[in-house]
Amino acid sequence: MSEIVIEGLTKKYGKNVVLDDVSLKISAKEYFVLLGPSGSGKSTLLRLIAGLEEITSGSIYIGARKVNDLLPKERNVAMVFQNYALYPHMNVFENIALPLKVRGMRKVDTDRKVREVAETLHIHGLLEKKPKQISGGEQQRVALARALVRDPTVFLLDEPLSNLDAKLRVEARAFLKRLQKEVGITTIFVTHDQAEATTIATRIAVLNKGRITQVDDPYMLYSRPNDVFTAGFVGSPSMNLIRGVARKGGSGWEFHSEDLDVGLESPGLVSETEVTLGVRPEELEVSKDGSGLGGSVSNVELLGSISYVTVSVGKTSLIIQLPGKPDLEIGDHATVRFSPESVLLFDAKSGMRIEEKA
Amino acid sequence: MQRGQALKVGLVLASPIVVYFAAFFIYPLVNLIQNAFTSDSGAFTLANFQSMLSDPILSVSLSNTAYYFVGSVALEYSVGFIVAVLLYAYTGRLKTIFRTIIFLPLMVSPVVIGLMWILILNTNYGPLDYILTPFGLGNINWLGSQSLAMPSLILANTWEYSPFVFLIIYAGLQTVSPQLYEAASVDGLSRFQTFRFITLPAIRPSIVVAFLLNSIGVLKGFDLIYVLTNGGPGFATYILSFYTYVVGFSFFETHYAAAIALLFLAIIGAFVFAMLRFTSVEEYLGLKRGKGE
Amino acid sequence: MKGRNLLLIAVLTLICLVYLFPIYWTVITSLKTNLEVFTRPPIFFPSQFTLSNFYVSVDVFRAVSQTAVGSIPWMVDSTIIAVVATVVSTFLIAAPAAYSLVRFIRSVWLARLILFMTMIPEAVFVVPFFIIVAKVSLLNTWWGLILVYISFSAPFSTWLLMGFFNDVPKSVEEAAQIDGLSPYQIFYRVSLRLVTPGIIAAVILSFISCWNELLYALVITFTPFPAGAQTVPLFLTSFIIVQKSFAWGGLAAAGVFTMLPTLIMGVFAQRYLARGLTMGSVKG
Repeated sequence: MSEIVIEGLTKKYGKNVVLDDVSLKISAKEYFVLLGPSGSGKSTLLRLIAGLEEITSGSIYIGARKVNDLLPKERNVAMVFQNYALYPHMNVFENIALPLKVRGMRKVDTDRKVREVAETLHIHGLLEKKPKQISGGEQQRVALARALVRDPTVFLLDEPLSNLDAKLRVEARAFLKRLQKEVGITTIFVTHDQAEATTIATRIAVLNKGRITQVDDPYMLYSRPNDVFTAGFVGSPSMNLIRGVARKGGSGWEFHSEDLDVGLESPGLVSETEVTLGVRPEELEVSKDGSGLGGSVSNVELLGSISYVTVSVGKTSLIIQLPGKPDLEIGDHATVRFSPESVLLFDAKSGMRIEEKA
Repeated sequence: MQRGQALKVGLVLASPIVVYFAAFFIYPLVNLIQNAFTSDSGAFTLANFQSMLSDPILSVSLSNTAYYFVGSVALEYSVGFIVAVLLYAYTGRLKTIFRTIIFLPLMVSPVVIGLMWILILNTNYGPLDYILTPFGLGNINWLGSQSLAMPSLILANTWEYSPFVFLIIYAGLQTVSPQLYEAASVDGLSRFQTFRFITLPAIRPSIVVAFLLNSIGVLKGFDLIYVLTNGGPGFATYILSFYTYVVGFSFFETHYAAAIALLFLAIIGAFVFAMLRFTSVEEYLGLKRGKGE
Repeated sequence: MKGRNLLLIAVLTLICLVYLFPIYWTVITSLKTNLEVFTRPPIFFPSQFTLSNFYVSVDVFRAVSQTAVGSIPWMVDSTIIAVVATVVSTFLIAAPAAYSLVRFIRSVWLARLILFMTMIPEAVFVVPFFIIVAKVSLLNTWWGLILVYISFSAPFSTWLLMGFFNDVPKSVEEAAQIDGLSPYQIFYRVSLRLVTPGIIAAVILSFISCWNELLYALVITFTPFPAGAQTVPLFLTSFIIVQKSFAWGGLAAAGVFTMLPTLIMGVFAQRYLARGLTMGSVKG
């Protein structure tokens, strides 16, 4: 009923290609996230689905209906903007009621629906107030109410949490997740914050420079990124990425770069290849002495239950995650150990991940 | 929104003004051009423009206009500018009151302003003459003398128009971010240096726009002259705007009037052209095409 | 700091006194008796006040009339013409045009053209406009002058409103789009409501300029209401020409009640006007 299918969607502004042949299938009731850095095209994609911009080529289907030439109001989508875009000259009630009023709904029915939605979002006490009289979090819920009051098929959110302060953002995230499940509506959420994406999404599409690099659930995105960009973008702090060469040596395959040598476990390679090696901070081990690569501690960040230690091995910086407070200080000598199973290899030229041999 | 539909809506909304534009701009312009280049018989001729070269009243008008222009703009601009800076420098509760008072002359009809200054400039009973008597400038027929009519006009015009310059400069001063001043004081600039190196460059657009709008306003002026001096005594205060009217409605020479009107338009056009080079219409209207995301 | 401020106050007060003086002088003259008007040295603060000047008998247009009451026909003309011209120009012409130019027809050259039109001197088009109004037999009528005034007021109001419409956040209009409003509905119910300060400025400035206008009224109208459509500035000019040597008190009185409406409007709506008068040369 409310699946969304996007086929070969391209959007150009003059010669500038903002979206390049994007295809996606979003299932009904999914909480789908479009994730990417600014300029990646994610907001444009959302706006094309909403009908706010014209498609250059390709198609969009909402619930098996082709919507390319339909106006936003004909697509039965609802959208929440980054700055909420509430009507400043109307009070909260009128803001929420407007979509219904425009559709010619009777006053009695409009009244009832508005109050229902206001109850669901806990803003029934604010109905007489004007947008500038309520807080940011409350404004956001009014924007949500206005969107939901129409029983739309699809729910589109364009970075709605960016304007909230950190603590409020976490609360709002959880609130949205619960709400979405309760209402059971297909939702597309745009953000550049990968932590936000991984905590709320059922599936994520990662965009880079107008192209989709990977569509997967958060866990797969994290553990099996398709390419170097995705690997570096998802996860905070970022995955450690080192350029070098993978070759077969005397004791098996190994990775060699200017500063370090690491043994590899059956990489899916045939001959010597230039690669980028990736390893997550939590997969590395650090000790003051012991075996491994030698380097010196250049930074220590304490976060309470965990710490991030940066060790410089030659010219390469590696970030390692350690529990609690480590017994290391800046300037100390330290050794870093890799566990070969946790290492990911990416082709240096294409950026694509190299699968291990089965 | 689809491109085609957007255009359609835009045209519908703009249709009233397009109609007006056609009727009250294009048609009159065409009419003027037609008249300027033809004689009474309807034949094409450049005689109207040639007459301009030998018209003594026109040359008097033009030199008067130059006199009026330079005098008015110089005086209005300096006064307006200084008052703006002074009010800007003042910090206190009387600010709004001062601003309201300075603002007043702009709200008064030029006809009434003419009336006011007739009363004030009267030789026998007017306060101005009386106040200047101890300085040896008394008992003078301000509006009636060939040499003093124009300065009197300039004086009245300054009273009317300097608040306009004030408004623009003052508004410009207000947009200067206070953080710039804080940085300057930390860097150790004196008040004068701050004004010269920070404030002035920051309000450069306002400075230019104020000058150009002031100039255009002065050139356009008609009402004040009509009431105060009616072009006299003799032709001493005939300026271009006034002469354009006279040729059309006192002499009834339609063709010549059209030629003069076009001359006037061209002069104004030059100023507007200069102004367009200094104001960014695109920025003012956000017409720069946005980037996609 | 304090000392500097005091000096500024002194200077600014002096400046304000200079700006106020002509207004003051006119008002005070209107309240003087004839005895005290024609004196040398001029009397700056009269010993006697009178309102009789507002009822001076005067021979204007060879009909006996009294200033304040006598000016009523002209007042009627001015009011009706200014109000109608302002309303039509602002709401029917300028607002849609401004919105269209900012959101749909985003043409820089058209915007420049509008700006140019606001700068055209009255004297340039006075003959052609006369011909146009004569051709449609609207000389000496309300609509004749109204149509002419609209052609001046519309470009200025359009330019003014363009700046204000540009400040309306696009996302609010897009939200309205998604909510299902048609473009015209969006204009009328959302965008127009959000530029109210601009509308106020446009209305006031337009009214004031229509009220004060002289040249076109001079050329297009000949007699006042009810037979014609002469406006107050014309009443005043003929009053001045007739009275230059006699009833100065009456002259001043006429000046006073002519400038009173616009003065009051201006003072109250000050903060709306500042932006309008600077022609958007400065933001906000």
